[in-house]
Amino acid sequence: MQRINKNVVLALLSLTSLVFLLFQLYYYKFYLSQKNGSVFSKVRGLQSGQDSTRWHVVRKFLGLISTHNIPVYLIDPLILGLVDKDIEQIRSSPDGPSPECKYFCAPRDFTTFALVDKTWKHEVSLFRAAEKMGFQWLKIINKDPRLDGMDDLSGIEIALHYIFKLASHAIHLVVFYERSGNYLWHGPLRLKQHTDRKFVPFRKLHFGRYAGAYEKPELLLVSIDDLKVQIPKSPSSFLEEMSHSRFLECRYREARAFFQLYPDDASLDAVEFRKKAKSLLHLAALTLNSLGVKFWLSSGTCLGWYRQCNVIPYSKDVDLGVFIKDYKADIIPAFQKAGLPLKHKFGKVEDSLELSFQGDDDVKLDIFFFYEEDDHIWNGGTQAKSGKKFKYLFPKFTLCWTEFIGLKVHVPCETLQYIEANYGPDWKVPLKTWDWKSSPSNVQYNGVWPVNEWDDVIQIY
Amino acid sequence: MDEWKPNPAAKAHKKRSWYLAWKYKLMNQRALRKLCQTGAVLFLLVTVIVNIKLILDTRRAAYEEEEESAQDYDDEMLNVEVPRHPVSNKKVLDVEVYSSRSKVYVAVDGTTVLEDEAREQGRGIHVIVLNQATGHVMAKRVFDTYSPHEDEAMVLFLNMVARGRILIFTIKDEGSFHLKDTAKNVLKSLGSQVAPFLSWRDMWTFAGKKGGEVYGEKHAKSPALSTWGDPVLLKTEVHLTSVEGTSGRCCGPATERTRRRKKFCSKVEGYGSVCSCKDPTPIEFNPDPLKDNKVFDVPVAVIAGNRPNYLYRMLRSLLSAQGVNPQMITVFIDGYYEEPMDVVELFGLSGIQHTPISIKNARVSQHYKASLTATFNLFPDAKFAVVLEEDLDISVDFFSFLSQSIHLLEEDESLYCISAWNDQGYEHTAEDPSLLYRVETMPGLGWVLRKSLYKDELEPKWPTPEKLWDWDMWMRMPEQRRGRECIIPDVSRSYHFGIVGLNMNGYFHEAYFKKHKFNTVPNVQLKNVESLRKDAYETEIHRLLGEAEVLDHSKNPCEDSFVPDTEGKVYVMFIRMEQEADFTTWTQLAKCLHIWDLDVRGNHKGLWRLFRKKNHFLVVGVPASPYSSKKPSSVTPIYMEPPAKEEGAAA
Repeated sequence: MQRINKNVVLALLSLTSLVFLLFQLYYYKFYLSQKNGSVFSKVRGLQSGQDSTRWHVVRKFLGLISTHNIPVYLIDPLILGLVDKDIEQIRSSPDGPSPECKYFCAPRDFTTFALVDKTWKHEVSLFRAAEKMGFQWLKIINKDPRLDGMDDLSGIEIALHYIFKLASHAIHLVVFYERSGNYLWHGPLRLKQHTDRKFVPFRKLHFGRYAGAYEKPELLLVSIDDLKVQIPKSPSSFLEEMSHSRFLECRYREARAFFQLYPDDASLDAVEFRKKAKSLLHLAALTLNSLGVKFWLSSGTCLGWYRQCNVIPYSKDVDLGVFIKDYKADIIPAFQKAGLPLKHKFGKVEDSLELSFQGDDDVKLDIFFFYEEDDHIWNGGTQAKSGKKFKYLFPKFTLCWTEFIGLKVHVPCETLQYIEANYGPDWKVPLKTWDWKSSPSNVQYNGVWPVNEWDDVIQIY
Repeated sequence: MDEWKPNPAAKAHKKRSWYLAWKYKLMNQRALRKLCQTGAVLFLLVTVIVNIKLILDTRRAAYEEEEESAQDYDDEMLNVEVPRHPVSNKKVLDVEVYSSRSKVYVAVDGTTVLEDEAREQGRGIHVIVLNQATGHVMAKRVFDTYSPHEDEAMVLFLNMVARGRILIFTIKDEGSFHLKDTAKNVLKSLGSQVAPFLSWRDMWTFAGKKGGEVYGEKHAKSPALSTWGDPVLLKTEVHLTSVEGTSGRCCGPATERTRRRKKFCSKVEGYGSVCSCKDPTPIEFNPDPLKDNKVFDVPVAVIAGNRPNYLYRMLRSLLSAQGVNPQMITVFIDGYYEEPMDVVELFGLSGIQHTPISIKNARVSQHYKASLTATFNLFPDAKFAVVLEEDLDISVDFFSFLSQSIHLLEEDESLYCISAWNDQGYEHTAEDPSLLYRVETMPGLGWVLRKSLYKDELEPKWPTPEKLWDWDMWMRMPEQRRGRECIIPDVSRSYHFGIVGLNMNGYFHEAYFKKHKFNTVPNVQLKNVESLRKDAYETEIHRLLGEAEVLDHSKNPCEDSFVPDTEGKVYVMFIRMEQEADFTTWTQLAKCLHIWDLDVRGNHKGLWRLFRKKNHFLVVGVPASPYSSKKPSSVTPIYMEPPAKEEGAAA
């Protein structure tokens, strides 16, 4: 009895085991076919069939766009990385046949190209032709940010990304738009409700997690792997630019809400001040950019951007932040050459450096230098008459691009924390009286400069 | 892959159970057998559990990946589907039409499709066209038949409506004063009994099918000249036809163009042969490109309101102009009106709608500001923008004219704009399409704006919504213009055809716009463009005055005989102008010459240039003008007194 029972149990278990085994095999196969080869590419990534598929897809795509006269250029970080290693050779022999497929066969899921919007006319025929060639395509559209800042304009939605899929490879075409401030912008990739979420593994795309801002690239026509393609003239600097290209749009909606609560000052004085502040900021940006000094909007100017997308008319100066590691001795002469004499210099490079330049009619340009510590960043302040030192603490931040009064400039990506550190939780309420020694919520007393250093650390002109 | 790991174990297990049985036979030892059996059972159990776990794991992993893959990329704004009005399958529509002195409305099945009770607006006959199959509104128009020529427009419109459509008419305030017999006959042919006898301040409503039955008509006669007829309300039923007989009107090969046309024709009515199947009006024009086109990359902003038929006419002429670049054109519509947008899409252009801000003139002014800002945002590297309005015809050589002159605007700081319109360029006062002037007034009506002027000066201090200013008047103010001038052609490159408008009506249009000269010659080569620069122009004027013949100042300048019957000569006359702002004599002269006299236009340092009898005719204001020195001492400047009684200008 007992023995039979055990045998039955044994047999049953064996059977279950077998069933599971079969199920497992079936399931695995099913899973594989659904992933559409992406698993295979890992398993058999080195097989030439897959490699040449990628090359063929790219070739077909380039053929398609050249028949429609669409000037795309390659921005795929993976391929540009490979290209960069051999850039000298590629540049010197633009037409040479390549012995092996070195770049376009590299294992990857996508190849990314860029297209500047104004250089082509949106043509339906392109997509018809693409379909005929076997491509499946997806178009991602969204609001036009160039009209976002405008009161109550309903623009048409614009195409931000295209994805062309053929076999196991996909082409990601990023559409760049020219914006005020002489730069190129691409939008974030956001899927609408009814989009096929599995069209491609969107997470693996190199572009689209955030919006990005780029300089207009110089292009170079090269022949790599027997394909003629345009690439940025210097792939390495493009890749460098790409690594910190994240772009933040101004919060236009919140700014409008702000102006509902606190109507904008439209007096002639305000108009005049804004005009001066704008030209001062443009001049400062030009000067610092030509020196290669990275800067961002700080203090009141940053608050103006974040809260109302404009210069705060009663702020009376323009504030910029610069990391002390980017300090250059040329800064002062460069500004003087640009017509902005030094007004005062507080602190020294090692501690609490702050420069102030005199713009036209009382508009002042303040440059605060920021010192990075392990867990925070700070900048210093000095009271001229007493030699007292102050310290303003900020949580760590990174820099993002934004557009502000016709300029592409940096702001802290973590803007809210930055502003709350500086202005406290009530930053949304405009304050006309502001004392830089006591009002900021992140100010700390930082001792007094030794009297013998005063001549050096407190210079007023 | 992780998924593979347990499988060898499972396989091994089967082998083991067979091996166990063999071992059992061989050894037949109870204790060992029991141990082995327990071990085997345990092992099998573990295998099963591992298997189940594996399946669960892979499933979860796959699910998560799917979730994650798009999470970051979800649009934060869910696309809210706009609820569409359910198209009922009802065969009968209840229609209500109301006509009175101060209010009209039309309701179809309880939905108000027209309501106008605004004061001092919407006078005349309101017409609504319904689709006979769906009951949707296809066109909505108002013809101010109190004013002249509006009845002609109405006849034109009614003729364009396809047969079978449902037409609804109602009068607000007054609609008969300039309703001529032709129009009355058309209304009669539609089945109206009353139309031929419509008279002063009658109220009237009518509903009927074009070329078919009459659904109803009501009429209230005005008892006396000073009073209006009683309000009338027509309630009737309209039977829908099951098939829309005209839906397939747009045929042809399935191109992008046909698609656009089809979409347009299924929605709106009143555009004539655009929607006819046989030989439809083209919607693509492909004019000749310009050689060396300097304005190919200049954005064109078309400022529009809710006058879709005007916009249609305007865009047709714009797209037919040589050197046009449709990609640079953006139409800015003031308000969320559908029909103008349909027109824009018909031509494959891009359109932007603007939520109206403020009222009347300020609304127009805010719309201008938003449109100009948007234009420079959309085309950030543009140095200029061409600004057009929806009620302008554009000359075939409009872009050629700009291409030849735009470099002046870039290089000459003393210029404010280039305009295609000459305020004084009437049929009898303009002659030479190749001639350009510098003037101190800004004509507008098709002009080029410099980006730096807009961004640095105008935009920051543009009149705010609460200021009910005209944008163009504001731009003409000395604070804005700062002594700068505009370049205009002698023969205008635009034609203002709008009769209905904020500051416009039929009388006004007839008096001041109808006889305006409009260039129709393609590829006009402009003469002496370089002489339009600030200093060169003075030299040019002095040369002209030097060769000009002084007219006989004893004659009446209003008389035709004042200018001799010659051709191609240059004449000069001197009028009295005590100081810079003294335009007394000029205004009288302008009045009798039948040119623009409502304010001073077209002057340059006290000098006006026009043509009379094909002769160049110069008028110099003495002594205010610096050109007064050219006056022979024997000549006494002409003085014309304003009429004692102020005539109210119909502005």
